[in-house]
This record gives sequence, C-alpha cells and structure tokens, in this order.
Amino acid sequence: MRLIGFSTGALARADFRLALFELEQTATNSVELSALRFPELQPLLESLSSLHLSRYQYISLHAPSNFQGNQELEAAALLKQFAPASWPIVIHPDTIQHFEIWRTFGRQVAIENMDRRKGKGRTANELREFFVQLPEARLCFDVGHARQFDTTMTEAYRMVRLFGDRLCQLHVSEVNSASQHDRLSFAAILAYEQIANLISESIPLIIESRVGTKEIESELTNAEKAFRVHWVPLSRATQAV
Amino acid sequence: MGGPRAFQMLCDCHRCWHHALGEFELTSIAWQGTQLASINPIERLAEMTGSKWSNLNHAREYTIARRIELQQALAGIDTDDTSIVVFGSLARDEASEGSDTDWTLLVDGISDPLHVNSAQEIERRLILAGAIRPGPEGTFGSLAFSHQIVHWIGGEDDSNANTTRRILLLLESKALGNPAAWNRVLDNILYRYLTEDRGIWDRQKRRAVPLFLLNDITRYWRIMVVDFAYKQRARANRGYALRSIKLGLSRKLIFVSGLLTCFTGYLDFTDDQWFELSHAGNPQPLIDRLRSVLNMTPLENVATRLARYPHALESAKRLFDAYDEFVGLLADSGGTQKPPRDHLEGLPVDELESDKIFLHAQGMRRRFGEALHELFLKPGTELYELTLRYGVF
Repeated sequence: MRLIGFSTGALARADFRLALFELEQTATNSVELSALRFPELQPLLESLSSLHLSRYQYISLHAPSNFQGNQELEAAALLKQFAPASWPIVIHPDTIQHFEIWRTFGRQVAIENMDRRKGKGRTANELREFFVQLPEARLCFDVGHARQFDTTMTEAYRMVRLFGDRLCQLHVSEVNSASQHDRLSFAAILAYEQIANLISESIPLIIESRVGTKEIESELTNAEKAFRVHWVPLSRATQAV
Repeated sequence: MGGPRAFQMLCDCHRCWHHALGEFELTSIAWQGTQLASINPIERLAEMTGSKWSNLNHAREYTIARRIELQQALAGIDTDDTSIVVFGSLARDEASEGSDTDWTLLVDGISDPLHVNSAQEIERRLILAGAIRPGPEGTFGSLAFSHQIVHWIGGEDDSNANTTRRILLLLESKALGNPAAWNRVLDNILYRYLTEDRGIWDRQKRRAVPLFLLNDITRYWRIMVVDFAYKQRARANRGYALRSIKLGLSRKLIFVSGLLTCFTGYLDFTDDQWFELSHAGNPQPLIDRLRSVLNMTPLENVATRLARYPHALESAKRLFDAYDEFVGLLADSGGTQKPPRDHLEGLPVDELESDKIFLHAQGMRRRFGEALHELFLKPGTELYELTLRYGVF
C-alpha cells in the first residue's frame, strides 16, 4: 500500500492528539505532526514519547510557518533536541533567516514550495536559491500550492524536473484563491493526475485538506486516485525539454 | 555587449532568452555552436554572417531602457492577479521614439470593478511618460480578461480582438512589472492548444507539429492581411503606406516566428525523445519548451533557428539586412526633414509610385520577402518540407 496519511494540523489544527485519535480508525500509514504556530511546537515535541505512533511507517514534522524575534533559533534548537533524525522536518522557505542553523540538519530539512501569497519559494527558480543555501535539503512538494500558482501544472513539472531527486513527501489538497486548503475537487484530481506519473509511488502523500472526521476516508480515496498513475521516471525526453 | 546587459535587466522572471538558451543548451539536444548562452542570438547570427545590424542593436538598447522607464512609471498598479503587458515594437525590442505603446491590463483573478480604475491610471501615467497612444481599434489600451482569451478559441465568441490578444500574447508580448498573471495566461493558452490537439499525442507519430496552435497563428496572419484591406477602406487609405510596409516586415515576422515555434515540436526532438513524450502524455514539458522559445523576441527566435543552417546563412543575412534597414527607417528622426515614419503615415496613395522613401521602404519589404522565400520555400531543406507539409494545406 502506498504511504499515505494526513497532516494533524489539517484535521484538528493544534490538537495533534485529537487528530491522531481520529486517524486511528483509518487506513493511514503516514502522518505529519504539525506545529504551524510557534507556541504549538514545544508541547508537540515534548509529547512525542507519549504518542502512539508505532502504526505509522512514515512520520514527518511541520515546523512553524512564522517566526518572531529569536523563535527561529529556538525552534531549531527544540527540533534538534527532540525530533528523531529519521523524521523529515518541513519548513517554509520564507521563514528562513538563518540558513546556517538549518544547514546542520542536512537531509532532514524539507523545503516546501509556497502558494501565490508568498514572495518566495513559489517556482522552481525561486526554490533553486534555497537549495543552493541548503544543498542537502529535500523537497516537500505541495501540489496544491503549485497548482494554485499555475493551473497548467507546468511549474509543478519544472519543480519535479529540477528537484525530483530531492523529493521527500507530497502535500496534497486543493488550495483555493484565498490560499486555504480545501478538499480535492474534480478539477484538482484531474490536474494532479497529469503529473502523477512523474512522482514515484514510494513518495508519501500527506493530505492537508481541511476535512471533518466523516470525510477522511473519501479524501484518502481521492488522493490515492489522483496519484495512482504509474510512475514514469523523468528520462531523456522530459529532461531534454 | 548588448546580450548580457539585456539579460541582467530582463531576467527577473528567469525566462529570458539567456536563461532559455542556456538551460536548453545543457540538454541532450544538440545545438550547433557553443556560445548560445552568452550572446544574444541576433548578435551571434551577425557574427556568423559577418554583418553589423546597428539599427537592431540600437533599437534593442532603446527598447529595454524604455520598458524599464515605463515599468517604473507604472509601479504599484499591477498585482498577482493583473499584469501590465506591452505588445508591438516595445515587446519585440524594436521600438524607437516614434513608436506607439500598445498595452493592456491583463486580468487573471477575481472580478474587481476597480480594475477599470487601474487601467485608467495606467493610461494617465503613460501619457505623462510620453507614451504614444495605441491604434483606434480598441484592441489595446484597456482591460483584457484571461477567461475570454483562454476559453474562447474558435467559435463565434472568438472575435478578431480576442484572437489578436491571444496570439500576440504568445508571439510578441512582455510584462512590465509583476509577470504572474501574464505567465499563468500564457501557460494556460498553450495548455489548451496542446492538450486538445490529438495529433500531438498520437503514439504512432514519430514527431508532430502542434496544428491547433499553428492553425490559429496562421488564422491570425490571415486576419492581419484581410484587416489591412479593411483598414484601407475604413480609413479612406489614410496611413496605407506605413501599414503596407509594416505588413510585409514586422507583421510577417510575427507569423514567421510563430511558424518556427510550431516547428519546434518537430525539429528539436529526436524520434526517441518524442516517443517518450507522447507516451507519457504530459503536456507540461512541451509547454515549458514552447515558453522558452516564445520568451525570445520574434527576431531572436528566427535568428536562433537560422543559425543552425549553414547553407542558409546568406539568405539569413539578406533577411536581417532588410529588417535592420526597416527598423532604422522607423527610428530615423529625419534631421531637418519630416521623419520617414511620419512621412509614410501621411503619404497619399496616389503618390506611392513616385515617392522615394516609400519606394526605398518597398525595396526592404521586397528583399525581406525574397529572403523568406529562399529560407522556407527552397526545395530540399528542412524548413521547406515542413512549410509545405504543415504551412500550406
């Protein structure tokens, strides 16, 4: 079975315990523990040893999406102390001020491509500068952000073409014009199907759609449907153009 | 050197010719020559043919500086949902002081009644910046909406103005300032042309030319030619001389550039590469490749292609010599005389046959046409085969 699961933030915002409880009844085998706001980070990290995570084959952490003052340094220190080295840490490129501290995380850091609101990290070219600064970093490819930026998915293709070897996980949802993560629509599934063959089946799908408990299963089904196309590695033809 | 300087000033979107060629050169597709990434294609062709096209160089420098000037004058109006787009000589790097400013506020986002205020503010600031108003047809100088441009291809709703905006967005446009909306619309237009063209995705074909796109570009060229006759009647022959010269040079150049862009699908891929592309079924790599080509000006696009044909260099030289003269003629301030552009604009049709400036310009037009004939309609060449096969019937 494909690695697939939810972001705890999408299901219950800061209440990661509630999100994990809701996921217990599902067929998920992956999870992203989300602390999108800085005050959420320490409680989450300090709780890790008490959480029932053994059922998950893939676990990642999402770092806060905004830092004030010294919070970036504090967050990095907390993650260094508590986060298992095998768990990818997803960070938003626009939050990074101190590349030197994230560089010490090596491959553990996963840069996420951004939505249209942000001035950085939205395109392959904008991401390039972050990978220059963080040469070992991987890519958390948010297909919803990529589609919101370019509905033809050409920018998505460019990201995979340039950074496919760094691909660590996908964020899956539909991102609306207000940059909110919605459930996958018919059109979004069609769009993602078009690039699905560029994504290896081994890459975990982390769903970020904001759904209620009753909608978890259908969203899992839709996400799997969108990415079930057989992977065709980018080779001569697609790399050439 | 004009090329690298142009690159520094224009590479904000990373889709300038320098970027496009540089990236393309790194691929497995073999390019002849190794200096593509560091020199403007027109300058490179000039070197290859032993030419000096100073009018084109001067126009390029002027146009780039003018775009920056206008961009600064229009700062703060565009958004992620709206791009200020220029067309015509200002987009082709061929402008001079007498050139008009064809612009549109391209909207690709939520409906906002205040968009019209933004358009009016653009017009106000352009006038303050000394810009000459666009033509009276109303195709430019106002708002344009992505939904019409993207969704209405063919059918009754696809008016002349809509077709014109769409094709010129592809073939000769540049965004001043925030290019986000412009980029999205261009990608979406190409997405439609490519995904709805079943021939491209026919797995039996060795390679393909995007015929839906090519046919619309051809249609636009025919619209221009027919509208030439229409304007002759509607404007009682006013401006005939200048329009006639432009039709045979700058207008025709756009069509040639479009034709070559469509041939990209055929010429720039090996059979194996095309096989993989058509079997994968993803339009995105082709969109990406076409955007790289279309990001060049029409002249750069033509120069890039012709530089690959050693047998065609003499004709290429004649083509660019004629065009260089044409650009020089339009930029000529006239000294103590009336500028040739103004002279041609006001020339009565019954004086055409005896007017020295018109006859001189007509010579440029004729030589340009003859060179095109040699390049595209000379049997035995790659371009001839493709032109005959896809460009005629």
